[in-house]
Amino acid sequence: MIRKPDEVRMKRIGTTLLLLLATWMAGAAQAQPVRGDHIESELVAATDAVVPGQPLQVGLRLAHDRHWHTYWQVPGDSGLPTQIKWKLPPGWSAGPIEWPVPQRLPVGPLMNFGYEGEVFLLTTLKPPVDLPPDGSTQISARADWLICEAVCIPDGADLTLTLPVRTEAQPSRRAAQLAGARALVPRPIALDAATATIEGNRIRLAFKPQANVASLEFFPLEEARIEAPAAQTLKSEDRNTALYLTAAQPVAQEFKTLKGLLVANGGPRKADQGGWAGTIELPLRASALGAGFATLADSGGGDGNAPLTLWIALAGALIGGLILNLMPCVFPVLSLKLLALVRHQHDAVTAHAAPVSMPRHGFAFTAGVVASFLLLAALLLALRAGGTQLGWGFQLQTPWVVATLTALFFVIGLNLLGAFEFAFGGAIASSAAAERLQSARVSGSFWTGVLAVVVAAPCTAPFMGAALGYAVTQPAAEALLVFAVLGIGMAAPWLLLTFAPQLLSRLPRPGAWMERFKQAMAFPMFATCVWLLWVLAQQVEINAVAIMLGVLVLLGLAAWAIGLAQRGAPRYRWVALIAAGSAAYALIAATAPAAIDAKPVRAAADTAWQPWTLTLQQQTIASGKPVFVDFTAAWCVTCQANKQLVLRSRGVQQEFAARGVVLMRADWTRRDDAITQELARFKRNGVPLYVMYDSAGRARVLPELLTERLVLDALDRVAPAKVLSGG
Amino acid sequence: MRARYLAASLICGLFAADAAIAQAIPGQDAPPLQLSDVNGKRVDLKDLRGRIVVLEWNNPHCPFVQKHYRGGNMQSLQKRFTGEGVVWLTINSTSAGHAEFMNDKTLAAWIGKGATPTATLLDPDGRAGRAYGARTTPHMFVIDPQGKVTYAGAIDDRRGTDAAEIKGATNYVAQALDEARAGKSVSIAATQPYGCSVKYGG
Repeated sequence: MIRKPDEVRMKRIGTTLLLLLATWMAGAAQAQPVRGDHIESELVAATDAVVPGQPLQVGLRLAHDRHWHTYWQVPGDSGLPTQIKWKLPPGWSAGPIEWPVPQRLPVGPLMNFGYEGEVFLLTTLKPPVDLPPDGSTQISARADWLICEAVCIPDGADLTLTLPVRTEAQPSRRAAQLAGARALVPRPIALDAATATIEGNRIRLAFKPQANVASLEFFPLEEARIEAPAAQTLKSEDRNTALYLTAAQPVAQEFKTLKGLLVANGGPRKADQGGWAGTIELPLRASALGAGFATLADSGGGDGNAPLTLWIALAGALIGGLILNLMPCVFPVLSLKLLALVRHQHDAVTAHAAPVSMPRHGFAFTAGVVASFLLLAALLLALRAGGTQLGWGFQLQTPWVVATLTALFFVIGLNLLGAFEFAFGGAIASSAAAERLQSARVSGSFWTGVLAVVVAAPCTAPFMGAALGYAVTQPAAEALLVFAVLGIGMAAPWLLLTFAPQLLSRLPRPGAWMERFKQAMAFPMFATCVWLLWVLAQQVEINAVAIMLGVLVLLGLAAWAIGLAQRGAPRYRWVALIAAGSAAYALIAATAPAAIDAKPVRAAADTAWQPWTLTLQQQTIASGKPVFVDFTAAWCVTCQANKQLVLRSRGVQQEFAARGVVLMRADWTRRDDAITQELARFKRNGVPLYVMYDSAGRARVLPELLTERLVLDALDRVAPAKVLSGG
Repeated sequence: MRARYLAASLICGLFAADAAIAQAIPGQDAPPLQLSDVNGKRVDLKDLRGRIVVLEWNNPHCPFVQKHYRGGNMQSLQKRFTGEGVVWLTINSTSAGHAEFMNDKTLAAWIGKGATPTATLLDPDGRAGRAYGARTTPHMFVIDPQGKVTYAGAIDDRRGTDAAEIKGATNYVAQALDEARAGKSVSIAATQPYGCSVKYGG
């Protein structure tokens, strides 16, 4: 069809008029923006008319000047949430503000949650059903906000919006804007296997992610629950994504539910890049020790907290196990193993047995080590499950264990000296086991392995601490694996020896020297007794230590009597029995709870060192002083060596004093839950641990074997030497 | 007896090594505080043992502070409690580089218009503010004669800048002080403070 030119022109004019009308109508449907201090505000509606009974979507549009912001429903450390008071015609009702996803707005050391740029605060209004059509209606609101940049201005505006009432409505000119704003309003989200746990003031929020979560922010929907400025640490753990938050102190009694908004990968504004947001409400449960808690062991460098992968942990465990052989507290047992090996070789030579029996002993020893590590791990896991606050060194934190070990080493010493015989096997776990060893020598090597672990455990070698901390925070299977590898590492050199007999053949030929060697080995045993008694003296009162010395006398008597009985005077058996029974009874008395509780708190022998408490540490750092914390225990030989050789050295002491470092000592000789928790925070389960805090509270962890140089270097980094002023 | 250690350590919680701001926590010892007042006199919290101390974080430019000063609310609290032997320390932690910074003279002049704190202290490097975890102006702390924090938080329960809302508000500071002076334990020891952010530098 061909149109006449006039027709075409008329059509154009008509279109133009319609457009003009539409523009005018649209203008009438919206209000003029109101200009305030550093902000422009207006009310906008999603439709061009009100339909009676139909919900009406409206939005308060706030357009902030550059750098200025207003606040979210929970403003953070300061500020006020924006408020809207609706003034509606009769019969109308208004829903709550539907807040879009906010931003984190850091202000110095503080944190606010709010909006910059343009934001729409949405509300759903409900007009009455009996609203007469063909009229118009006016919606008014008073909006109040606090707008801040460097300074804050309380401000607000009276806003109105006039809309026609019709039976049908079309999307308004601003509908697209409001739809965009609606996409930013988070809805409740159901996360797969989501849990929230709290330990101290560390909150762990974990869930199974559906897709990759590269960044995650948590905004609390309740005030005074979360430490707003604290760093939120995202970790991939296992099959879970975990976000670590810091609870506000004091942790509120009624804080039983974690309510908040999660913003992932930049949130819905970056939906094309996998961004999303949603609100969660999870029961907050108290966590037992080590249920996945970890903080940055060294936050000095910022955010470099890549999670320890299982492989690194296993490698660390292997190396740690190897180094365990060189630790001072392993030495007495190491000497026993040496004896056993020499004896095996001797047996092999005299019995003309095939050398293949050597690796069997090696494997038996390895099995013994690994089995004990697994047993300890299983025990630790069981205790963890029970929520008992026990750490790695717990064996020697318990006085009866120390006392029993003292008695054991004393008896071994007497035996080595020849006071009595127990057809000495590779193991001395108990004399009953030793009896069995005579017939089964491979099992003797097994028990040697077991004993080696029992004694080595308290001395956490370098690498071992981290591996242990890692293991304790992992699922049971992985923890057991790490412990097994630790055992393999410890047994490896001995296993190698049994495979490489040429190394063994370098050992001297057996002969009379062996008896003397055996006797000489008694003295490391007695030395160990001295050390154990010293440990015990830290744990129980002086009378109990005296009783323990009495126990040793009784054991000496028993050993002598057994020796006599073995040499043909059987009636001395009774003396031995009575003496041993009395010793056992006295041992129990010496380590009874009464003896432990009666132990007075020791005054600090070292005046330069203050006893550590978390509060004291925090306050000292808060007052701007650097702090050095020595986590130690009397039974930890590495700790004592570091203390004597490095920490007490004149050079180190002078530098500590010159730089105003406050020295604190956390003594873990006896069980102390606060210290156990603090160690766990550094992913440790044992001592030593040395932590240097700079005046801003950043922690730097020092290695477990200290040298003067190491300490001085660390000092240079956290507390540079003061420049002497001319005044 | 070990259970007590456990409880205490759980309450203390674990210190976040990455937090640049510390905190004064109700029930714990107040952090040390040593500042000069507007007359150059040194004030040390240690010397105030044996007396109840109120700390009021202040910034005259802040609308929330103005809310409590314009209507005379803060001044009357200061007058009443200093009259009863309480030490009232007004602290300004605004950074020297901030637009709202006031030096000793201008601050003294502003305080001089009717306010009667025991001392007005300057904390331009924000050290005391950070040690206490002062977040807002106002942010209020009450310290008992043994040096323990008994209250930390907002001045009252009406969050806003409108002076008209002070009437009928529950004043947490007055409540804590009245309870402490009556020998009772403080019923509300911690609240979320409200106000402008403390204007710390960098």
